[in-house]
Amino acid sequence: MGRLIEEIYVWRLPVRLYHWINALCTVVLLVTGLYIAAPLFSPPLGEAVFYKGMSWWRYLHFATAFIFVANFLFRLYWALFGGDKYGRFGGFRPWSPSWWGKPFLEQVESYLFLRTDEPNYVGHNPVAALAHFLFIFCGSSFMIFSGLAMYGENNPGGFNSVWFGWMIPLFGSSYTLHWAHHLMAWIFPIYLIMHLYAVFRHDVVDRTSVTSSIVTGYKHKVEEEPV
Amino acid sequence: MQSKQTFADLFRAGGVSRRDFLKFCSLTSVYLGLSPSMVPSIVEAMEKKVRTPVIWLHGLECTCCSESFIRSSHPTIEDLIFNMISLDYDDVLSATAGHQLEDVRRKTMKDYKGKYILAVEGNVSTKDDGVYCMVGGDSFLNTIKETAADAAAIIAWGACASFGCVQNADPNPSGAVPISDIIKDKPIVKVPGCPPISEVMTGVVTHFHTFGTLPELDRFGRPKAFYNTRIHDKCYRRAFFEAGMFVRSFDDEGTRKGWCLYKMGCKGPTTYNSCSKIQWNGGTSFPIGSGHPCIGCSEPNFWDKGPFYTRLAEVPFLGSDSNADKIGVIAVGAAAAGAAAHAAVTAVKKAKAGSEDNDKA
Repeated sequence: MGRLIEEIYVWRLPVRLYHWINALCTVVLLVTGLYIAAPLFSPPLGEAVFYKGMSWWRYLHFATAFIFVANFLFRLYWALFGGDKYGRFGGFRPWSPSWWGKPFLEQVESYLFLRTDEPNYVGHNPVAALAHFLFIFCGSSFMIFSGLAMYGENNPGGFNSVWFGWMIPLFGSSYTLHWAHHLMAWIFPIYLIMHLYAVFRHDVVDRTSVTSSIVTGYKHKVEEEPV
Repeated sequence: MQSKQTFADLFRAGGVSRRDFLKFCSLTSVYLGLSPSMVPSIVEAMEKKVRTPVIWLHGLECTCCSESFIRSSHPTIEDLIFNMISLDYDDVLSATAGHQLEDVRRKTMKDYKGKYILAVEGNVSTKDDGVYCMVGGDSFLNTIKETAADAAAIIAWGACASFGCVQNADPNPSGAVPISDIIKDKPIVKVPGCPPISEVMTGVVTHFHTFGTLPELDRFGRPKAFYNTRIHDKCYRRAFFEAGMFVRSFDDEGTRKGWCLYKMGCKGPTTYNSCSKIQWNGGTSFPIGSGHPCIGCSEPNFWDKGPFYTRLAEVPFLGSDSNADKIGVIAVGAAAAGAAAHAAVTAVKKAKAGSEDNDKA
């Protein structure tokens, strides 16, 4: 193992906080959401007034959802106004043909084992940036809009029903929107697997300590071992 | 049919004298808090305002809406068709038939041009020029276009006229479409349900009769008064839902105790209707009250959101026996397998590169 030759402060505290709150919320939302769709546990026989079997799961889902939304909005604020070099989605430039050309293609080739050298990025590589845009930005946006539309159903004419209720006719009916919300929830475990795999693999292959960087904020470069 | 019958005519026919009629108008002005100078206006309105003429067409349907309609208890059907509206044409309820009846329709359309209400039950077959629904020797497609042209407003009765119902469920062999797909330039009130609750139907008519305007509608064009909340919101079994006490099969203890039918596929949480408030047959019961899950008959395309007895619908483009969870689990499994395969290739490549380095050294 070579010596540490460089230390780069990549993930500043707001980004790291966002990451872990988001991770925790996503797990809680997925578990409670799946439970709401298919409640497993049975309370003992008795009067309904003594039990809150479903209420608590729903309450947890809604409360976590609002933290998730606030955290999501905070991350967008940080990207736009935080003045954070690595936190402003700078690695994602899909409107630029040059981005799709060399950097993106190189990274895809590298993932497909078509080239031996690994392009190295301090922040996200272009493929990771695209994955985050699709899964985290688009996926979360859809879950937030559809979720708030359905939450608004509890209070017709209220804020959520007025501002997000248009999602229901857009998807045909309340039932279809519930169904779409449920189906889309599955992109998060899929993302989680790909994310964890990519992080561990890059850590092993590139030795940039990307795994610990989301705790400490620092990525490292290691000196090539003299042959 | 008596043409252009006014309220004054009605009073006269009922044996009320002119003196009593004027007394009634004076008392009405007092009830409404109007000045005595307004009495002549009330007399004039009562003498000149005619009952709302209604033409009721039947398209591709099962007539369950009419069956529901004639069972209304508040107001009763007699009160409605004798005192509020003038039901000029209804091929199911009219005494006449054939050309005589079609003439009545044309006469109403001419006499009350732009003033009559068109009530439509059933939807429109559009395939092959609409030959799959012929009424009175013409396709229903032509009839509805002709009748709607001079209507003041349209009431779409039932799931058929509102959203399509079973006729336009997949694969929709006759090309059936809801009324709103054919008539674009008239206000349409959608009163979905298979059938709609009778009091909801008469309530919509009563609203128009009383205020002269259409009721306030929601995003789907349904009257807010009846379709603003879900069945779930007012369900008497809601407490069992919150407590997590569910019927798990139709012969378990929960069924006997009347617990929540959510796990039996109840669509109450996503169905906008008044069943849990008004109930059916004069407040006797409603599906959930009888221990059956709601099938969501007042929601768009509810036939294609099956099965009725599970909460989670099949994913249409992947065929039966698929649902969001099965697809999700398979996709997650595929992602994990992909990651494992990629890791294996990476390891092999790395080992190979390592041994080459060693060879060089």
